Amino acid sequence: MKRLLGVALGILTAIGGFVDIGDLVTNAVVGSRFGLSLVWVVVVGVVGICLFASMSGRVAAVSGRATFEIIRERLGPRAAGANLAASFAINLLTLTAEVGGIALALHLASSVEPRLWIPVAAFAVWLVLWRVKFQVMENVAGLLGLLLVGFGVALFLLGPDWGELLRQAVPPSPPATEHVATYWYYAVALFGAAMTPYEVFFFSSGAVEEGWTAKDLAQNRVNVLVGFPLGGLLSVAIAACAAVVLLPAGIEVSSLSQIVLPVAEAGGTLLLALVIVGIVAATFGAALETALSSGYTLAQYLGWSWGKFRRPARAARFHVTMVVALLLAVAILMTSVDPVAVTEMSVVFSAVALPLTYVPILLVANDPEYMGEHVNGRATNALGMVYLVIVVAAAVAAIPLMIATGAGS
Amino acid sequence: MSRDDSPPTGVRVVDVRLHLLSRQVLDVDGEPVTTVDDLELVAADAPEDGRRDAVPGEPAEVGAILTGPVLLTRLLGGRPPASRWEPVPWSDVGHVGTAIELTVQADSLDVHWTEDWLREHVVGRIPGGRHDPEEES
Amino acid sequence: MILGDLLDARVLGPGGENLGFLVDVRLALDTLPDGGPSDRDGRHHPGGAAGEADPDDAHPDDRALSQGVRRRDRVGRARVVGVLVSPRTGTSFLGYERTDVTAPWPVPQLVRRRHRGTFLVPWDDVAAVAPGEVRLAAGYRREDAALP
Repeated sequence: MKRLLGVALGILTAIGGFVDIGDLVTNAVVGSRFGLSLVWVVVVGVVGICLFASMSGRVAAVSGRATFEIIRERLGPRAAGANLAASFAINLLTLTAEVGGIALALHLASSVEPRLWIPVAAFAVWLVLWRVKFQVMENVAGLLGLLLVGFGVALFLLGPDWGELLRQAVPPSPPATEHVATYWYYAVALFGAAMTPYEVFFFSSGAVEEGWTAKDLAQNRVNVLVGFPLGGLLSVAIAACAAVVLLPAGIEVSSLSQIVLPVAEAGGTLLLALVIVGIVAATFGAALETALSSGYTLAQYLGWSWGKFRRPARAARFHVTMVVALLLAVAILMTSVDPVAVTEMSVVFSAVALPLTYVPILLVANDPEYMGEHVNGRATNALGMVYLVIVVAAAVAAIPLMIATGAGS
Repeated sequence: MSRDDSPPTGVRVVDVRLHLLSRQVLDVDGEPVTTVDDLELVAADAPEDGRRDAVPGEPAEVGAILTGPVLLTRLLGGRPPASRWEPVPWSDVGHVGTAIELTVQADSLDVHWTEDWLREHVVGRIPGGRHDPEEES
Repeated sequence: MILGDLLDARVLGPGGENLGFLVDVRLALDTLPDGGPSDRDGRHHPGGAAGEADPDDAHPDDRALSQGVRRRDRVGRARVVGVLVSPRTGTSFLGYERTDVTAPWPVPQLVRRRHRGTFLVPWDDVAAVAPGEVRLAAGYRREDAALP
């Protein structure tokens, strides 16, 4: 019974932990402009993140080495250093977006100006990183994040024309009003949002921190393989809500209040309140993960001691790195840049950085020196190579598409 | 020297770049110490008192793992003066696997000053900095 | 001498002819019997988080997977065996040309092609080391680069 509860808890936190500000914003924007015609990208992205999250978890558990230690070891100091610079910068951008997301959600709930919430949000993130146990932190954020199911509830309450939604999705039929390049630009953004590399840094470092056993590995596989697709379903619900309410009204999403508009319309204040709590929890959880990832990547590249399970004084440089990253995020937000715009940037640049993370994982997962008998099987490798091609294509296309479409405008 | 003199049972062939460079170094308790940024080569079978630099063509062995500023010069070119090397003697190495495991504690090595400084002056002074996160608070 | 001085250096034959780049240095590690004096505290716990229990008492499913790969034989001295020279390029990538890893297809196969002809020169046959340049002695030997 206890075991079953553990499994359920793991799956639920994986669902709640899947959606972050990147998924939220990108899905709503896409839904409001393209309907459900980009749902296939969410499917491709979810399969990809399942594949690589479970692979990096296995590599970390078996070799005892987290992802960025492996990147440094395989690519050497120079290439890995360039990789670190890019990954750290993009991670910082994502952290900025998440902290901004917390502030925006709190603003919606309180009508206190977001700029006042930003330092509060960042301080709360730091306090949790400093003091709260890893497991507690993960579970609370994940479970509260489940309140985003409110988007699904809202979709049912809206009573949409399901046949019409399905027609938009299969075969993918983008609205004739949008340019092809814009369609593909958002496809790349959506893919980047689903496969954000910080999930992998976080996941693999967690596997090392907790010293995963064969049993842990099996359970985490279930968490990923069940939880992430359900999380992906949440993403689709967000897009569908936007497709049903915002697309016909001609509203292009540029703020968080527009993203939750369909929820308010369908479910009133109560559902809106629940969803806002869900957004706070999801972005807060993601802010924790990205802040940790900034510490993980730098510490693992340089061989510092790191980890949530150590007393902060035993991983001093790791904790200082996270504080600096949070301060930088606050500084960026305080220039009154629009957090939604930062989010859109962060998912596109995430797409650019994908090969930097995923190629080394795939190679090491095949190295018997690291993996012993746990090397990838044929099927995993075949799928891995397919994704390698997709990931490289998305990375190469991202910047040209961004320039060609003027960032999707 | 902590080297013990039990006779070798065999030989394992490794390539430096493939198996040693950039690997994580852990101390005897499993605490991360640093990464292998470079290796110092010394003449093999040198007398106990003084180590000689390796000479091409004559028997040579690894004298120490180098870390610290050596990384920067490997990235940018050039090399730091020997006084700036932060060496971990090879005789302190116990195991070579997916990480290099030492037989001594990190605190006994002289490669940590940034960590120590931040621990003493910044992180250790913030309330809760020495609190064990795994304990109930 | 530090190893960084050797890696990526141009390798010249005795007559000054260009042979390629030094891509790696091969070492022979003495392996020592396990459980010797320097090993007594070596039984650490993964991540340092676990309690005092000896992991060997636990059920295999309850032991961290990393225990299996991590603990290899104890090593002693590390002697220099020789240098690896690649005729084509200085960029060494994962050493596929020296191992028999074949997955994920086609990455190892492509890298191996690029490093065809990589050979091992015994350290005895290295005559001189200057910044960015390694000169081999007259009558130097070319040996198989494969890792045993």
